[in-house]
Amino acid sequence: MRLWLNIPVTTWTGAALMSAGVAVLAIGLKLALGLNGENLATLVLLQIVAVLSLAIFSGNSGIISFGHSAFMGIGAYAAGLLTMAAAAQKSALPALPGWLAGHETGLLAALAVTAVVGVVVGVISGLPLARLSTGSAAIGTLAFLIIIHVCLVGARDITRGSQTFYGVPRLTTLWVALAAAILMIFAARLFRDSRLGLALRASRENEVAAAAIGIDVRRARFLAWVASITCATLAGALYGHFLGAFSPKDFYFDLIFTYIAMLIVGGLYSVSGAVAGVIMLAFVIQLLREAEAGLDLGFITLPQVFGLPQLGLGLALLLTIWARPLGLVGLAELRPSTFTRSSDEAPPQPVTRPTMARRAGEVLSVQDVTVRFGGLTALDRISFDVPLGQVTGLIGPNGAGKTTLINVICGQQRPTSGTVTLSGHTLSALPAHRVASVGLARTFQNIRLFDRLTALENVVAAAERAGHRRGVAEGIAMAELDRMGLAPRWNEAAGAFAYGDRRRLEIARALALSPAFLLLDEPAAGMNPAETERLVEALEKLKAERDLGILVVEHDMRLIMRLSDRMVVLNKGQKIAEGTPDQVRTDPAVIEAYIGTRRHKHDQHGS
Amino acid sequence: MKRLGRLLSCSAAIALLGGAALAEDVTIGLATAQTGGLAFADQPSLAGFQMAIEEINAKGGLGGKYMVTLDIKDTRSDTGATVQAAQELVAAGVKVLITPCDADPSIAAGQISQAAQIPTLTFCGTTPTITDAVGDYMFGTYPADNGQAALLAEHAASKGYKSAYILKSPDSAYTLRLPEYFAEAFTAKGGTIAGEGTYGLGQQDFAAEVTKIAALDPQPDVIMTAAYEPDFPAFLKALRGAGVTAPVLGSDGIDSPTTTGLGEIANGIVHTTAGFAADGTPLGDFYKRFAEKTGAAPETVYVATGYEIPYILDAAVTAAGSMDGPALRDALANLEGVAVLTGKVTYKGTNRMPSRDITLVEIQNGARTPILTATPDPASVPAP
Repeated sequence: MRLWLNIPVTTWTGAALMSAGVAVLAIGLKLALGLNGENLATLVLLQIVAVLSLAIFSGNSGIISFGHSAFMGIGAYAAGLLTMAAAAQKSALPALPGWLAGHETGLLAALAVTAVVGVVVGVISGLPLARLSTGSAAIGTLAFLIIIHVCLVGARDITRGSQTFYGVPRLTTLWVALAAAILMIFAARLFRDSRLGLALRASRENEVAAAAIGIDVRRARFLAWVASITCATLAGALYGHFLGAFSPKDFYFDLIFTYIAMLIVGGLYSVSGAVAGVIMLAFVIQLLREAEAGLDLGFITLPQVFGLPQLGLGLALLLTIWARPLGLVGLAELRPSTFTRSSDEAPPQPVTRPTMARRAGEVLSVQDVTVRFGGLTALDRISFDVPLGQVTGLIGPNGAGKTTLINVICGQQRPTSGTVTLSGHTLSALPAHRVASVGLARTFQNIRLFDRLTALENVVAAAERAGHRRGVAEGIAMAELDRMGLAPRWNEAAGAFAYGDRRRLEIARALALSPAFLLLDEPAAGMNPAETERLVEALEKLKAERDLGILVVEHDMRLIMRLSDRMVVLNKGQKIAEGTPDQVRTDPAVIEAYIGTRRHKHDQHGS
Repeated sequence: MKRLGRLLSCSAAIALLGGAALAEDVTIGLATAQTGGLAFADQPSLAGFQMAIEEINAKGGLGGKYMVTLDIKDTRSDTGATVQAAQELVAAGVKVLITPCDADPSIAAGQISQAAQIPTLTFCGTTPTITDAVGDYMFGTYPADNGQAALLAEHAASKGYKSAYILKSPDSAYTLRLPEYFAEAFTAKGGTIAGEGTYGLGQQDFAAEVTKIAALDPQPDVIMTAAYEPDFPAFLKALRGAGVTAPVLGSDGIDSPTTTGLGEIANGIVHTTAGFAADGTPLGDFYKRFAEKTGAAPETVYVATGYEIPYILDAAVTAAGSMDGPALRDALANLEGVAVLTGKVTYKGTNRMPSRDITLVEIQNGARTPILTATPDPASVPAP
């Protein structure tokens, strides 16, 4: 895949295509319908700008923001204060503080100042927002909507409160709106395919897995929020200069609901979807507006009925949710190949890295780890080492504490006492997203892929976290896909893969991090014998090729005995055996634990 | 082309009628909210407007010579859609533009028609700043907030009230500014403001506000608010529940059956309205005619105020003798004492928000009685 400024060339050409399409549509409307067409086109372009500003955050993070209309309001008022004629300002805002009064700037200068305001409010609102969980964040944005509305209504000297803010020059012409829409199309598409955009989309698909490959989800959301809010204030500034007069209620629930409807109808997950949604709904609304003036069909004359556009909007939303939950466009982005139907893109060339020289004696060390949940001791002073270059198997009956131990190692569960260390870092004290950078990668018992991303994107997201630029990251990703036998399907969505392929894709993603240690959590669970065999072969090859310490948790005895150099056995939170597979196989404590498990199955707690 | 077409049709008319009254076709554009949050006022206003236009056309048109076609566009109560509709109507060459019952869309649309020199009237926008915000082509038609407040203050003073408490909500210009105008007019007449409280639109619980009023010592002589449904009934119940007996003054927002339906606690409420349809009055007759025509009496006075607008226009067109923008603007601005259903309307000497009759009604035992119909003294109307 060819890149330009670390972004695929197809993204640039796709954005250019989309801009051209929008420009043709806008100019076509003007030519075909004259002044009315020009007005309609300006309004649609402004909606594209607004919806794309929303899509930058909501589309990539998966968190619907209800707050954007209010931030647009901030932009509209800020820019309006700057461009307003001094005479109009004196009569409309007699109590305006002196430093805000009488600027009479042009639109561009006002937009520049508005962008600064946007960054500031984006940072202030983003700091608390990024700390919220996915579900609460949407509610948080609703709080912003209400808070900002109250502030705009309350700041009477500056905004005229709930009264109409008037005298804003109507500077948003068709050409201004078109330029803004094109810039926003490029901004949204480039952001989506950037390193940050990819990280954010990964977190949208699976937050836990994103953290496990080293993505700081909070940071990614924060940055995207600031970018998105800055764009929203600019969109608001342009909309304000289209309206000429507005009040806080024009930037409240109704506005954001229209935008969200457009985004959902078109497709939340792609820039093309956002643009298509705006154009389609604008088209439907316009058509029904014409129809509601009364229709003469020749044989029957329909009377004037109002409310058709809203009816159409509701119907479109309902139909979309029912028939196309991902929106009209779905996940695909507009690109040159959309029209040629040929797959225009050759897969990236695999890059084989020189194996990193590991420090001899590097070791993943579990020391005296104890975890208590209330009165229950899930892990009781567990200690063992996972050395480099070997496969360590971790087994134990259900409820032995394996999952708890893995969570402690990966930073998802703080131990009550004890530590897990790797090359001088205490893993058990690191946040989950830092574990990968220290050198530990993992897979999950219940597979966690980024389903609506392609196989390549799944692995590139990880390779980029290992500090590689996009071009190198793609090469590494292809090499890892190739190793797992998935290279031919590099451009397919991960969600479409069969179970065994999903397991292997997850391993490829973990390996792209170039970890010193790899933790495989039940890699063969749910696989049929043939799939298991292919997995074992891949792992054995990996063991031979890479200087890697592997910790495997597995129920499949045959598999683990065959793979492991050393084994650790847990039972009821305690380590009952450690040694080579042969030593463990004959250990009486192990035999008793396993046979005992069968006999007293009902007494066991879930692990 | 259009002008040419009109010329042709004019000459055709001359040829055909040979000297009979020359009728010319004009279009009036309506960018009003037939759906959404403002439809409660714009829908009935339109119904009245259409009925008046039919009558006027039947009599030979505006000023006796302009046959009116209406171009009606729904704005969905959205300011952006109002701008779009106004631009379309202006481009279509309408002679007069009608805008919704709200300041935002009216000002936004007015800025477009002002530039095109098209006289523009808001259906029932009551914010007195609408006209000055736009310019000399923008006219109000409905009793403005400051006029209502001035009449209420006159009433309060004539009743001998010395102190008033006002309750306002910053959430809308109407609920905020109307009580503030009242306070201004009332203090100008020598009254004092005993205190003021605020509430949020749609607020269910008024316990805090009412406790504040009940704790006042001495109690205010009167309580004034521009709250309306559902806030007003909730407030009134809480107020009387707390044992406050001071009379309550309200604005035209409570001119609905809900208020009379409140029972005993509503007794003594005095509020403004654009008009009261008593039998034998022009408004009462209109209600009967409207009921005969449509099968149902008007549910709100907005039908009547909408009906009045074409007659106001008719008076102006007659005076101007033409429907050219500047001439019609000047004629409108100089109208004086035009008799309409609810009283007399005057623009001369105003900022184009009309000086017009407003009615005060009092509620007793579930019925309204008009107690005064008057034009507030311009000197006592607070500046917008």
